[in-house]
Amino acid sequence: MSAVTASPVSRRSPFWRAVISGTGIVALIYVLLYALYAFWQPDALSLYTFTDLVNNSTPLALAAAGETLVVISRGFDLSVAGVVSLTNVLMAVYPLDGPGGALASLLMCCAIGAFVGVINGILVARLGLQTIAATLGTMIICQGLALVILDAPGGMVADFVTYTLTDTLFGVVPIAGLFLVAAVLLWLAFRRTNTGIGLYAIGADEQSARFSGVAVSGVRITAFVGAGILYGVAGFMLSAQTATGNPTAGTPFLMLTFAAVALGGTPLSGGRGSLVGSILGAGTLMLLQKVLFSGGVSSFYTGIFQGFVLVLAIVFGNTVARLLKKDEVR
Amino acid sequence: MPFEASSDRRGRQKLDRETVNTLVVFGLSIVLIVCSRFISPALGSWSQVLTVLILASFLIILSFGQGLVILIGGLDLSIPALITLGGVLTTTWIGTGDAGVWYMLPAILLICAMVGAISGIGIVWLKVPPFIMTMATSIVVASVALGYTSGTPRGGSPSSLLWLMKSWFLGVPVVIYFTIAFILFGWLLQNFTALGRRLRALGTNRSAALIAGVGVTRLELVPYAISAACAGFVGMMLVGYSNGATLRMGDSYMLPSIAAVVIGGSSILGGSGTFIGTVGGAILLTTLGTMISAIGLSEGWRTIIEGAIIVGALLVLRGEFLTHIGNRMLTRGK
Repeated sequence: MSAVTASPVSRRSPFWRAVISGTGIVALIYVLLYALYAFWQPDALSLYTFTDLVNNSTPLALAAAGETLVVISRGFDLSVAGVVSLTNVLMAVYPLDGPGGALASLLMCCAIGAFVGVINGILVARLGLQTIAATLGTMIICQGLALVILDAPGGMVADFVTYTLTDTLFGVVPIAGLFLVAAVLLWLAFRRTNTGIGLYAIGADEQSARFSGVAVSGVRITAFVGAGILYGVAGFMLSAQTATGNPTAGTPFLMLTFAAVALGGTPLSGGRGSLVGSILGAGTLMLLQKVLFSGGVSSFYTGIFQGFVLVLAIVFGNTVARLLKKDEVR
Repeated sequence: MPFEASSDRRGRQKLDRETVNTLVVFGLSIVLIVCSRFISPALGSWSQVLTVLILASFLIILSFGQGLVILIGGLDLSIPALITLGGVLTTTWIGTGDAGVWYMLPAILLICAMVGAISGIGIVWLKVPPFIMTMATSIVVASVALGYTSGTPRGGSPSSLLWLMKSWFLGVPVVIYFTIAFILFGWLLQNFTALGRRLRALGTNRSAALIAGVGVTRLELVPYAISAACAGFVGMMLVGYSNGATLRMGDSYMLPSIAAVVIGGSSILGGSGTFIGTVGGAILLTTLGTMISAIGLSEGWRTIIEGAIIVGALLVLRGEFLTHIGNRMLTRGK
């Protein structure tokens, strides 16, 4: 399977391969942006600013990480917006205080995400609906449920969740970042399993994957469930950050997760890509807002820059890929 | 897999499926309207049907553009931003009264079409995926509209748009005549012109279309430009309907524009589908929306029901099921 994912650059060293992959490009963009940020905002290198940045980026990064699983298997998952809204509202309406309460809330968010994921998976893999259509339906239903539970912004998230999860561990490590590290570690382990390899295989060519003995519907359902759990955690982290509930909290996630995935070098046509790239892509989008703000750009016009960065990142990635291909042919 | 299986079987069976799908969608709409009388006596009346049709006209025009983009295997996510652009430019450049409306309205539509063409250029020449490119256009346009109006659009509707949306002729609102003319135009364009056939060829099999001598690159811009112009026009219609523009006026049309096309029997991956089916999808969705809001449930429950019905409709309208029923009806009939 690794032959398929890495074929254009297979003769290069792993280090070089990582640098020129989508993940490498987005990491480079992130570092450059951060340098610009530090130039305009000298306290950008302080731990406080960094923690703030990680806290801001974590919900989107987790959601984008989940979306990546589905995108690699050549699908779209719109239910991200619904799950984030639903979990956020539940956290605000039924706050559970203390460490035990936080854990219970986290498990509840994961369970909701997993449940929605199972339904998406069944609709797509067993009943043969197109991914975008099936997840559109589940997204709308989840948003309706969120509105039933809380019909206007309000509610309070438990204090323990709000304060602890936005804090730092031993005064050094942002706690929100640990969730991202955990997601990355799980991903690195997962992509070496048969299911993980199958994920890339069905994204690249479902027919061949089926003939090669990949349990296609099982892998698809796993991808949706994994994605759903990550959306649940994203909703959990969003609640920790905003400390309140909003039945439409997930709506902005719909476009931004796809933007983060694309920026992270995962093509929407499936079969390639990495969860790490998407997390960095989400970080870049959030960092860009800060950079533009510190650079004195009116918040009205932030969107113009976001749009251009998105297109430029893709064009840049395409160009690099084309140059590499030429190089290989020679 | 559903993606490739559908591209193998073309021809007769395919046509049957599209026809059956269209009939089912229209039939469902009529059944819903008739049944709605049991929910509330106000529903199902002639004036109620006209209201549904006026509301559906926005979605019909939007999903014509969206349908063309989906036909060639793309997706247009910039529709809400272009609705806002069309609306905001109309109220700020023309405003109340009718000064210069005859050249300003076409000029605004041209601007919208050019924005769509820019998306198309990004997709064709820069090879950015349609999903991302139209999203980027959307973010940029929304941001420009926000900055241009400093957050609060001013001005009212030109009187000609008020006439289009509010006045009646022979007991039927003018906009319904307009929509019928538009449907006829869209149907002819998609089914009986070289452009329509080329777009379908492009969506069915890109390389085959290229070999068959279809100028693929320039052709691919056209649906994006048309879709953007349609969205801009719906922006104008909404200005006439509510006598003003807001920055979020297009937001609620993004997902319905896709849903109408998919429920109307088109494959989201391109190459199949008819505009008449899409019209049925738009009418069905609007009927549902109106009915559900008339029941008097809270917004949350209405949303849940709407989602459940979309999933249900998709399951019922799935390819195999319809082909099965369609073939059965055909053999029985003979």
